Amino acid sequence: MLRQDIKRMLTKNWMDNKKLLSAIMITPAILYILIMVGLPLILAIFYSFSDATTGSSDFKFIGLQNFRDILEDPIFRKSLMNTFIFTFSSQIIVLILSNILAMVLAANYRGKWIVRFLILLPWTAPISLGTIGWLWMLDSIFSPFDWILRYMGLLGTQNALLGNMSNMYWLGEPVYAMASVILVHIWRILPLSTVILMAGLSSIPHDLMEAASIDGAGFFRTFFKIKIPLLIPIMSISLLFGFVFTFTDMTVVYVLTRGGPIHSTQVLSSWAFLKGIEAGDLAHGAAIALFLLPLLACVVILILKLARRTEVT
Amino acid sequence: MSITRRDFIKLSAAGTIALGISPTIFSPKFANAAEKKLKILQWSHFVPRYDKEWFDNFAKKWGETNGVEVTVDHINLLEIGARTSAEISAGEGHDLIEWFAPPAQFEPSVVDMTDINQEAQKKFGKQHPLCTKSSYNPNTKKYYGFCHGWVIDPGCYRKSLWEKVKKPQGPETWNDLITYGGKIKKDLGVQLGIGLSQELDSNMASRTLLWSFDSSVQDENENVVLNNPKTIEAVAYMAKLYKEAMTPEVFSWVPVSNNQALIAGKASYILNSISAYRSAQKEVPEIAKDVFFVPALNGPRGTKWACEHLVYNYIIPSYSKQSDLAKQFLLSFMENYDQAIYYSELYNSPAFFDAPIQAGNRGYTPVPNAKTIRDLNNAWFDDDPFRLKDEEKGKLSVLKTAEQWSTNVGHPGPANPAIGEVFSTFVLPNMLAQAARGMDPKQAVSEAEALAKAIFKKWRNKGLIGGSK
Repeated sequence: MLRQDIKRMLTKNWMDNKKLLSAIMITPAILYILIMVGLPLILAIFYSFSDATTGSSDFKFIGLQNFRDILEDPIFRKSLMNTFIFTFSSQIIVLILSNILAMVLAANYRGKWIVRFLILLPWTAPISLGTIGWLWMLDSIFSPFDWILRYMGLLGTQNALLGNMSNMYWLGEPVYAMASVILVHIWRILPLSTVILMAGLSSIPHDLMEAASIDGAGFFRTFFKIKIPLLIPIMSISLLFGFVFTFTDMTVVYVLTRGGPIHSTQVLSSWAFLKGIEAGDLAHGAAIALFLLPLLACVVILILKLARRTEVT
Repeated sequence: MSITRRDFIKLSAAGTIALGISPTIFSPKFANAAEKKLKILQWSHFVPRYDKEWFDNFAKKWGETNGVEVTVDHINLLEIGARTSAEISAGEGHDLIEWFAPPAQFEPSVVDMTDINQEAQKKFGKQHPLCTKSSYNPNTKKYYGFCHGWVIDPGCYRKSLWEKVKKPQGPETWNDLITYGGKIKKDLGVQLGIGLSQELDSNMASRTLLWSFDSSVQDENENVVLNNPKTIEAVAYMAKLYKEAMTPEVFSWVPVSNNQALIAGKASYILNSISAYRSAQKEVPEIAKDVFFVPALNGPRGTKWACEHLVYNYIIPSYSKQSDLAKQFLLSFMENYDQAIYYSELYNSPAFFDAPIQAGNRGYTPVPNAKTIRDLNNAWFDDDPFRLKDEEKGKLSVLKTAEQWSTNVGHPGPANPAIGEVFSTFVLPNMLAQAARGMDPKQAVSEAEALAKAIFKKWRNKGLIGGSK
């Protein structure tokens, strides 16, 4: 059978062979994933079990020592906790806001395209550039937010609601710094989630909505009983992207606070970079970066399964 | 015109092959890789004219004279680490890489530069000890870098503010910062600006404080000695200083905060190189005229040290096939260090103070009787060539003694990879910040010591540092 297939492939013009052509077409994508994603991942796994440093290409395997070391490191434990706070709080807020935004943007009104354009802007701008803008806006001395608060009498006077100091020190106070990092991340990731949900909303059959309307279902009933159940598969995809993106991203933290003050905004990805690249300890950096890989893989599988189970056919 | 799938595939295949071979056909240089080429990577100097008006031209002219094609690439200072790691890991890249800190962790992958260091000392005299300690590993007896200069980190203060609290000559001791700095904050509403954040300047400031209180991270033999009563005293001092004279902005300090705070009139004293002052000269001359300098402050027992603000170190990665050319370039660079100082607007200080000045037109107004770099440096500090028109003369004179009170990051020992990691992970600024935010100084020191010891143990196991504890 196989021999016949090969014979047929050789005798027939190869360009007419769908199997061969599809294999040729998919090969670059597979190679890309293997070289650009698979290889670095395998290398990182190797490094995490070694004593590799950035200063030398020689290394030896030391088993699980790096993982034992990082578990004893208080900064790692703090970063792990921060990663969960950062990810879960930002994703919960993104989920709520993106639902509201998607409905607003799906509605018909004048100037809808301008509003859509403005809301999508944060996603199109380079993340580092956008975050630098926020860095200036949250500056300890020159923050325009502080200026507005002072102008409104909420800050900088004896009986002001927010205190008599001249500034809020958004990035200098641990709680404000974490809140700032989360809010900037939400600003960054919200458009993607909104667009995904908008696509989901537009795929809900009109006759369903019309039937609900005729039956006298109000806004909340329609939203919770029809829209949300139908949106769950696509919401899961949005959540999946958000989770993985937030768990693994370090740009916002790195640009705004470099993990400070006193590691209060340090997350695993930024700590892995500081330890592995800036401090030269590649092995520990790799172990920190890969620590959540099994957990993330489980989350991905779980969300994809959930999406499949709730899929409407 | 219609195109079939078959045509599309044929065209794509032909295009890919053509793209692949085109460099060898159209660029003869690609085929002839044996030419003399020297590729230099360095961080963009804080004084732009250093790169634009001097270094790039100097490198180009040196290349023309010696028949070498020289390429100079500038990148942001903060990207040097990641870039060096990437090039060393890839086994190709630049022949010379300039660092702003001791690159001790790269020792196994760089060329031993003992020969050029010895030759330079023969030609230009003794190297400043902080430079030697930032480029030489006494355990392996290897020079992993060539240090050509460093940057002074004095105290900059606003004279008009200090005059109002009856201390016009500025602070002389760390205690003065609490006494007078606290009074300036209380009476005039202007705080001090010493960073307690996860960034470069805070790292320097924390070391300066520690050494002036007669303590350090390591001793001269590279043993961790951080947890001692003097460190606790220094940490308790910083907690008090924060309470009396600073605001939470110091926890979000970034390298430009010094400049911003000084220019905005929001700092009575900062610990920084003269770059903040130079920025003020250009942007707010009135503030610049009010900025004056003090040397390292005296600690409680009279000890005074300041950490170098930056230390310039060139490394030659082992993969480089042009190490001889690179060394030749560096020697020529050192012969012209008077120009490096001038075009950096006195930001750079030399590693070799006794180096002779070359004759002829040097690109600046000649200084009478200046025979060595030290003569020139001191003359310029007394009469700053970049002083504003109606600005007081001799403001920089206090920097003439900087070579006596400036030292390297690992003081009293050498710089090493462990000290580098303690630095890069902000152990000291966080120790001080913890206490400033209310933690018991003893606990803050104990936690910092635990982190430092774990780091030292790891690098000691790799044979790159000495000591035993």
